[in-house]
Amino acid sequence: MSTNLIDTYVSEVGRRLPRKTHTDIEAEIRSILQDMLEERSQKTGKPVDEEMTLDVLKEYGAPEKIAATYLGDRYLIGPRLYPIFMLVLRIVLMVTGILAAIGLGIALSQTLGHYPAKTIIKAIADFANTVMIALGNIVLIFAILEWALFRAGAKVDVKGLPKEKEWDPHSLTKVSAPNQVKMGDTIVEIVGCFAAIVIFNFYPQIIGFSPSLNSVIENGNWSSVTFVSLLSAAFFYYVPYLTLVWAATIILNIVLLRMGHWTILTRVFGTGLKVINILIAGAMLAGPSLIAAATPALISALGDADAARILMTMLTMGVHVALWLAIIGGSIDVIRMIYRTIEGSK
Amino acid sequence: MTNESFENAILEMRRGVIVMAVLSQLDKEQYGYSLINELKEHGLEIDQGTLYPLLRRLEGQGLLQSNWRIEADRPRRYYTLSDEGRILLPRLKEEWTGIVSMMENMLQEKEK
Repeated sequence: MSTNLIDTYVSEVGRRLPRKTHTDIEAEIRSILQDMLEERSQKTGKPVDEEMTLDVLKEYGAPEKIAATYLGDRYLIGPRLYPIFMLVLRIVLMVTGILAAIGLGIALSQTLGHYPAKTIIKAIADFANTVMIALGNIVLIFAILEWALFRAGAKVDVKGLPKEKEWDPHSLTKVSAPNQVKMGDTIVEIVGCFAAIVIFNFYPQIIGFSPSLNSVIENGNWSSVTFVSLLSAAFFYYVPYLTLVWAATIILNIVLLRMGHWTILTRVFGTGLKVINILIAGAMLAGPSLIAAATPALISALGDADAARILMTMLTMGVHVALWLAIIGGSIDVIRMIYRTIEGSK
Repeated sequence: MTNESFENAILEMRRGVIVMAVLSQLDKEQYGYSLINELKEHGLEIDQGTLYPLLRRLEGQGLLQSNWRIEADRPRRYYTLSDEGRILLPRLKEEWTGIVSMMENMLQEKEK
């Protein structure tokens, strides 16, 4: 019976520990408990029984407390990432708030002053919903980053505390060494790529236009609500390739965060990704329009064929400008990265 | 409240010397429970939840080495100083002597 109690106790501790170390720690705790029981039995002159085992286990401590002593301090989002987490959160909340205000303005203009209270309530509910989704995703990304950083830190320091040598005084003067990874930029890029993967693969209708929600407000009929996609089929042809590039960018950035500095290999990989980005942008520019034609659905949604055509022309021009900027900016990045790779290899 | 503050201060002071106390007792092989008893005999009571993870950390840092041995039909993990630990210990002792004399000077000056 006492052996069963020890087995149960030890496995209770073990299931709270990392898989890599739990067998070893379990064996050690079992050995310690047996030593304690042996000593107690000798002192009292009684054989080991259930009561004595319970006493020893109580003295040793609750399984979760013992497991915690082997784990050290853990955070969902620790002090190292917290300032950047707050920065990203503020930016996302600000952008979401601006978009919600624009959306509310459009909705109010479409309802032409009818049911403004309902429109405002709906806008607030949508805003709250979007904020919750954004908050959840940001926390998830940062929790994964925290875990990755903890794992990297654990190799050199079990407690996971930042070491003095890891801190670079350059961060005070904002003059960073060329090979030093800029944590803020890296995390913003991870969040951006993650958001792009989620939006373009799972919620592409967000990049669309919703006709007036009057019918919902007037008669509660949600089935009449449709989203008119602003993106053409040609755009979705590129999504799998873009997703691969975004996923590779996230992986590269996580590796960079763990290493803390650029190496020749990561620079070559990063340059390769930039080149692929430029090629995709070039193909998008040369290929069919990424913006859907002024469809009857959009014309009916806007209520004016000319307005729909003007909107589409403006969006197409905007996309062209964005793609050219991506190509020019990407090319500058590639040249800079090649230069730093050559400098780094000297 | 004063008692609590006093106890916390004592706890902090003791926490500072645990690593050196443990290393000082491991010039010969010891298993965890025997080490905890030996430290207790010297007047230093360490919580088990503090000692065993500490031994693993010190081993991870290369200051200790350990091996499992079967004794009386059951395994025990024995810890002892590694080569690096043996080099480090005299330096720690020297540092400790320096700290003690520095503190004595500091406290004596205040008493004057």
